[in-house]
Amino acid sequence: MSIRFLNVSKTFGESKVVDDLSLEIADGEFVVLLGPSGCGKTTTLRMLAGLETITSGDIYIGDQRINDVPTQRRDLAMVFQSYALYPHMSIAENIAYPLRVRKLGRDERQNRVARVAKSLEIESLLDRKPRQLSGGERQRVALARAIVREPRAYLMDEPLSNLDARLRVQMRGELKRLQHQLGTTTIYVTHDQAEAMTLASRVAVMKKGRLQQFDTPLNIYNHPANRFVAEFVGSPSMNFIDGQIERGVFVSEEIKLPVMRGDGSVSLGIRPEHVHVFTQPQDGAIPARVYVTELMGNETFVFLTIGTHRLIARAPADFRAEVESTVWLRLETDKAHFFEKAKSTDYAE
Amino acid sequence: MRKGIFKTGLLVLALVAALTPVYWMITISLKIERDQFAYPPKWFSFTPTIQHYYEAFVTRSFGQYLLTSAIVAVVSTACALVIGTLAAYALTRFQLPYNLDRKLSLWILSTRMFPAIVTAVPLFLMMRDLRLLNTRASLIVVYTAFNLPFVVWMMRGFFAEVPRDLEEAALVDGDSRLGALVRVVLPLVAPGLAATAVFCLIVSWNEFLFALVLTQTDAAMTLPVGIAGRVTQYEIKWGVMSAAGAVAMIPILVFALAMQRYLVRGLSLGAVKG
Repeated sequence: MSIRFLNVSKTFGESKVVDDLSLEIADGEFVVLLGPSGCGKTTTLRMLAGLETITSGDIYIGDQRINDVPTQRRDLAMVFQSYALYPHMSIAENIAYPLRVRKLGRDERQNRVARVAKSLEIESLLDRKPRQLSGGERQRVALARAIVREPRAYLMDEPLSNLDARLRVQMRGELKRLQHQLGTTTIYVTHDQAEAMTLASRVAVMKKGRLQQFDTPLNIYNHPANRFVAEFVGSPSMNFIDGQIERGVFVSEEIKLPVMRGDGSVSLGIRPEHVHVFTQPQDGAIPARVYVTELMGNETFVFLTIGTHRLIARAPADFRAEVESTVWLRLETDKAHFFEKAKSTDYAE
Repeated sequence: MRKGIFKTGLLVLALVAALTPVYWMITISLKIERDQFAYPPKWFSFTPTIQHYYEAFVTRSFGQYLLTSAIVAVVSTACALVIGTLAAYALTRFQLPYNLDRKLSLWILSTRMFPAIVTAVPLFLMMRDLRLLNTRASLIVVYTAFNLPFVVWMMRGFFAEVPRDLEEAALVDGDSRLGALVRVVLPLVAPGLAATAVFCLIVSWNEFLFALVLTQTDAAMTLPVGIAGRVTQYEIKWGVMSAAGAVAMIPILVFALAMQRYLVRGLSLGAVKG
């Protein structure tokens, strides 16, 4: 089902948690709400689920306005960060709960539970209690409980954040496959930009209750709408250099770069992979000092200082440089982003 | 080793102090009158008789009192649990305007802060006007009201322990508020509910003051009042009183033993996480 947020706001007392949010999510899309903690992404999801009231604005599922529809009649399925498995019920009973509430017959319930358990490979756990399960297994059970019926959409609130790193990557892949198979609209909340990039068909980046950008992962990465989005997405983070453009040259302390831009005070953003490091002097390259290098195995992150500026560059795994040695940088200015200072911390279209 | 003996000694002493009166009551209920007053006291060697039990429950109406006590205690406990649990749930889960959830809780608690005797006369007058004097209903109403604050405060603590996520999951899964309460929350607070029920039952079963004020007829009298009634101007029927007392112990004993498993868990629930 398609989902629409129309000028939705939520206030708790004095503070505005979600501010004039409008989103149109097409049927079958996998949308990730991304942002730092306190950006209103979870509140947005909870308003859609009916667990929080909507202060102003409207939310539609399909053509139905759901503002006043109670949670239990919205026909959504949700996976909680804590998994929220019912501790006193067996795994089978947990998965069957949504069916039991809907008064499905015992045979039908057992059939569906068996089918879902098989697809998530948790058949052997059905007689156990949640507390006897590992984190990854609980995660699967929570998913099973969500997909055992065919809801209008899946809501997921940081479902992978309690798993260890290896399992998280594995479950991430499985989630994506699952959604692909089911083709059901999914709204997924996370603060992990890697999850957002890998899972989403479109990412909605939020900050302080306001939508910053709503676009495909690739566009978010390559064409960030503002400095916040540019900084939040990508790891290691984008480098920023504050400076002036004077007659086609970007100037900041000893950095001088020719750019095709109008004059003004700007913030230049450049991703670490667009900063190339050389140990020998190069024509037109900027000298910099090595602060420290981090070998990641397949690549090396080089932390650099130019005057008071700090930069990170991505270099090949075999890159070697002593701490405090001098290296030379070439910045791919055609890949650089420019953010006007006044707008850099605020909402931009 | 000596420490162990000391500890055991203390425990034995405490046990003897606690159980001797009970033992004495039970033996008196089984002794003929002459043996009851024998000096030196006959601790073990006496000829048992069931004449006092016969007198209490066949000749006199202690059977009737026992039934009244049971009905009043069970019904008032059930009422207090149902009303109190719902109230506690509302107070923990819903935010009321003007901080009312907090204020209401304290207000409810405050009804337990004055001595019971203060309310005895007003309650008597109210029950008289309602024509409820000498009825079981009057005691049920009073005991329910008396136990409510306790139930509300106990259950408030237990509900606060249940993660909200679980109820929200139940709601999203399609259940109603009440359904989520019954199917998800209540099973999780069952030990607490059991502990609360035991306490209410004991209070109602033992209650004397209101029962004395509000009931005077055999038909509506509870056991404690009935037993005390055997102390008259002319004689004290020790045998009958002991027999009734011994029987009065049994239901509470059985119930508490049955609930013991929950009682320990319930009273310490929330003390340790998990």
